Amino acid sequence: MTPTRWWSMLRARLGAVTRRRRDAAQLAADLEFHLDSYADELIRAGVSPGEAKRRARAAFGSRTSVMESQRDLARVPIVESIGRDLRHAARSLRRSPGVAATAVLTLALCLGATLAVFAIVDAVLVRPLPFPDPDRLVTMFNTYPRAGVARDESSITNYYERRGRIAAFSHLSIYREWPATTGDPSSTDREPVMQISPDFFATLGVTLAAGRPFVDQETLPGADRVVILSDRAWRDRFDADPHILGRTIRIDRVPRTVVGVLAPAFRFLSSEAQLYVPLASDLSRRVPAERHSGSAATMIARLAPGVSLDDAQSQVAARNAAVELVAPYGQARQMNDAGFRTIVRPLRADHVSSVRPVLLLLQTGAGLLLIIGVVNLTNLLLVRSSGRVKEFATRRALGASGRQLVGHVVAEMLLLSICGGAVGTAFGMAGVRLLTHTGADRLPLGASLSFGGRTAALGFAAALAIGAAMAATVATFLVRGRPGRGLHDASRGHTSGQEAQRLRQVFVVLQVALSFVLLVAASLLGASLNRALAVAPGFRVDHVLTGRVSLAGTTNARAAGTLAFIDRLTGSLSNRPGVDAVGVTTKLPLTGDIKSAVTVKGYVPPAGESVRGTYTYGIGGDYFKAMQIDVREGRALTAEDSRDRLRVCVVDEDFAERYWPGERAIDHTLFIGSRAQADDQAFRVVGVVAPVRQRSITADERQGAVYFPFPYGGDNTFFVVARTTVAPESFVTTFRHAVRAIDPEVPMTDIETMDARVADDLFLRRSPALLAIAFSGVALLLTAVGTYGVVSAAVARQRREVGIRMALGAAPAQIRHQFLWFGLRLVAIGTLVGGAEAQLSGVALRNLLFGVTPFDPDAVAAAAVLMALVTTTACAVPAVSAARIPPTQVLAEE
Amino acid sequence: MGKPADLVQGTLDFLILKALALEPRHGWAIAKRIQQMSGEVLQVPQGSLYPALYRLERQGWVTTTVGEADNGRTVKFYALTRAGRSHLKRELATWDRLSSAIDLVIRTTP
Repeated sequence: MTPTRWWSMLRARLGAVTRRRRDAAQLAADLEFHLDSYADELIRAGVSPGEAKRRARAAFGSRTSVMESQRDLARVPIVESIGRDLRHAARSLRRSPGVAATAVLTLALCLGATLAVFAIVDAVLVRPLPFPDPDRLVTMFNTYPRAGVARDESSITNYYERRGRIAAFSHLSIYREWPATTGDPSSTDREPVMQISPDFFATLGVTLAAGRPFVDQETLPGADRVVILSDRAWRDRFDADPHILGRTIRIDRVPRTVVGVLAPAFRFLSSEAQLYVPLASDLSRRVPAERHSGSAATMIARLAPGVSLDDAQSQVAARNAAVELVAPYGQARQMNDAGFRTIVRPLRADHVSSVRPVLLLLQTGAGLLLIIGVVNLTNLLLVRSSGRVKEFATRRALGASGRQLVGHVVAEMLLLSICGGAVGTAFGMAGVRLLTHTGADRLPLGASLSFGGRTAALGFAAALAIGAAMAATVATFLVRGRPGRGLHDASRGHTSGQEAQRLRQVFVVLQVALSFVLLVAASLLGASLNRALAVAPGFRVDHVLTGRVSLAGTTNARAAGTLAFIDRLTGSLSNRPGVDAVGVTTKLPLTGDIKSAVTVKGYVPPAGESVRGTYTYGIGGDYFKAMQIDVREGRALTAEDSRDRLRVCVVDEDFAERYWPGERAIDHTLFIGSRAQADDQAFRVVGVVAPVRQRSITADERQGAVYFPFPYGGDNTFFVVARTTVAPESFVTTFRHAVRAIDPEVPMTDIETMDARVADDLFLRRSPALLAIAFSGVALLLTAVGTYGVVSAAVARQRREVGIRMALGAAPAQIRHQFLWFGLRLVAIGTLVGGAEAQLSGVALRNLLFGVTPFDPDAVAAAAVLMALVTTTACAVPAVSAARIPPTQVLAEE
Repeated sequence: MGKPADLVQGTLDFLILKALALEPRHGWAIAKRIQQMSGEVLQVPQGSLYPALYRLERQGWVTTTVGEADNGRTVKFYALTRAGRSHLKRELATWDRLSSAIDLVIRTTP
């Protein structure tokens, strides 16, 4: 057949479908014309008009039959038969609503879970960042591993020393976010404002919708009173004023002129900032001495065309080595001791690195659940169709072709999977909403989380693939049997072929194995969460309310004012009934992990040993009592220490043990900074306290901590901590009012109980553990159903045999055991296979576990016991009913 | 007009294609053309003509367009497709071989 012929055939057939109605009208007209022409001819030959019409019609035969024969021809057989098959399938499913509902629900549940997790994976890990060539964007940060500082972003000096000096980067810039008061100066609301270097937008490859980016002159303090608005800020705060450029907006009471507006779609990673201002710095902050002065800002860069990440990495290392040569006071050696390096990483990967393993784990879990669900479903449908072997055999005997029967099966499976897919998509949408409510939108890039077209498309494709896979399996077993055998088997009461039965046993083993993997994973994650919750963080978590106060940009910014402010605040709060103790600290556990250098007087580090990052705190009020940090030796710092500006300090046990092992720490002295100074600059240790978990509940850093009176460690931003005797949440308004009563311009933000901070800290452990438990619960249920199904099918198949054996005197217990062992044997094999797989998955899980090994015997045993309990029950039910088969009835049936 | 001969079984499609070889025609014209070409011997069975035309269209050998008949009425015109034309050529060859073979058989004296 030539292609042209194919084409005209196809066109004719497809055209026929769409044109059917119009064609019928045209055909009627054609026939009419034909008849008239014939009659005319007869009339011309001398026949009377009436007679001519009659004869013409007679010659033609029945007009309706002509029309009908054409209608038949106009049909496209494939489309027509699919329609028929689908109608047939719908009817046949309606006859067994239980099976249909179970199938649709199983599929919907498993598919919904997979899609919901995929939506997150898509938003966080897959979808490219909304910038041109996003893969060329990198971030880099300094690390001092031997000083215990794994990540210290970049300094202002780093930026000025690298900008334009590293060929690997076409652009390089820095940014940092800080909370500022905007608009009305009396407002105490804070919002994040982004400080950026002039080349920030060029690095990202975006252009402004209006106006210009910042210029270099605007990075000097005083010359920096300019701002670029996000599209939203422009619309919300300036009613999308077309003459926006040149208008002003106050940020921290300073009016800034709008010089640009961003494009509507612009969003930098997970930042909520709506206002962008220049990152201004004093020239004194750009000198070599400030090179290692800590994480002033985050550095991003765009790789030049053709440059690899490795090239960039080695060029940055070379640049570091070059500038370190001009370093002041032999800093180079010190940095070398600390293991100083700058690490270059792809921007996106770095941004999502904390959640990547968890998300991949969840996606795998959901995928396993989907496989278990589909296997279970196929099993169920095999049982159902084996009940129809007789029907099919009869239909084949009556002349239905194999293709037609396959068509029916395929239509049924497709119908089921499409329904399941539709409901599953709805479940997935609901799941995404649920996950958003439980905090998934707080994940990096999580704000872009939505159930989009990609996810829906994936759901549809998955549903079709599942339908096809199930259809292939079921159809094979239904249609392959010879018609005669099917009739024969069915009449003998064999409802399922040997092969199908064996396949279903394999399915059960597979199901058990996969759910066991899920169970072990859930068990391990659950145990990790338990261990994490059981960690003593060094302070008492309950009944503590905390909040951040920032005096920056207010009239209280002067140090004396800060101290007076703290005195008044702690005084007024601690007088309230229900408040036990109030203190302030510059650093609160779980709110940051910035470390600084401290030098112990008289300590001579062994050659090559690095200076060490230490957590330093500025403490005011009754902080240790408010946090209930245990004082192990000496005394705690008090409000008097701050008021009298005593040069004293308190260290934690890790610090004491490191510098004065086996000695009393009290009365030793130390200095702030990385060098020893004059004796009058020294701080005397007056107490030793218990170590606290600063970075995370699960991070056992033993890094050491030093607490100074507020005037020495202080800052104009600090946390207020109050220990209460009643529910701490009830003090939120009290907190705000107390601050406002002292100074109505001072904002108080980030008010949270310590419980909530701990919950946040454990978010990446709790949510995956709960989801894994939910997944494995559903998997276990499905497995139980699958096991039950296979055992009860075996009972049904051997009903006659059991009846005869019991009639001949077999004990019910014997029958019971026979079926119980039949089922448990499959479970045992599955568990063994699953156990082996769980070993592999345990290794993959290793980084997500806390306090348990991937092969934790308790966790594995717990999973095994649960599996055994559930599946034994599932096997026992049909086994017991087998033992109750009444022999007389079975024999009578024959 | 004497009673025309019935068509040989299965030759209607072939005759229709042949009738369309010259130019597109409507149904009535096809019937007339076959009658005329056969010297008024062959009479197309009116009831089979339109189903046959539809069959040919479905097989991709003819296409249809709607046009005006001599008396101004709108009717369907049928035309040979390229595939239809080459099919006709093959059919003709087959027919030639077949008819000369049959001729040979029936004229051979025993």
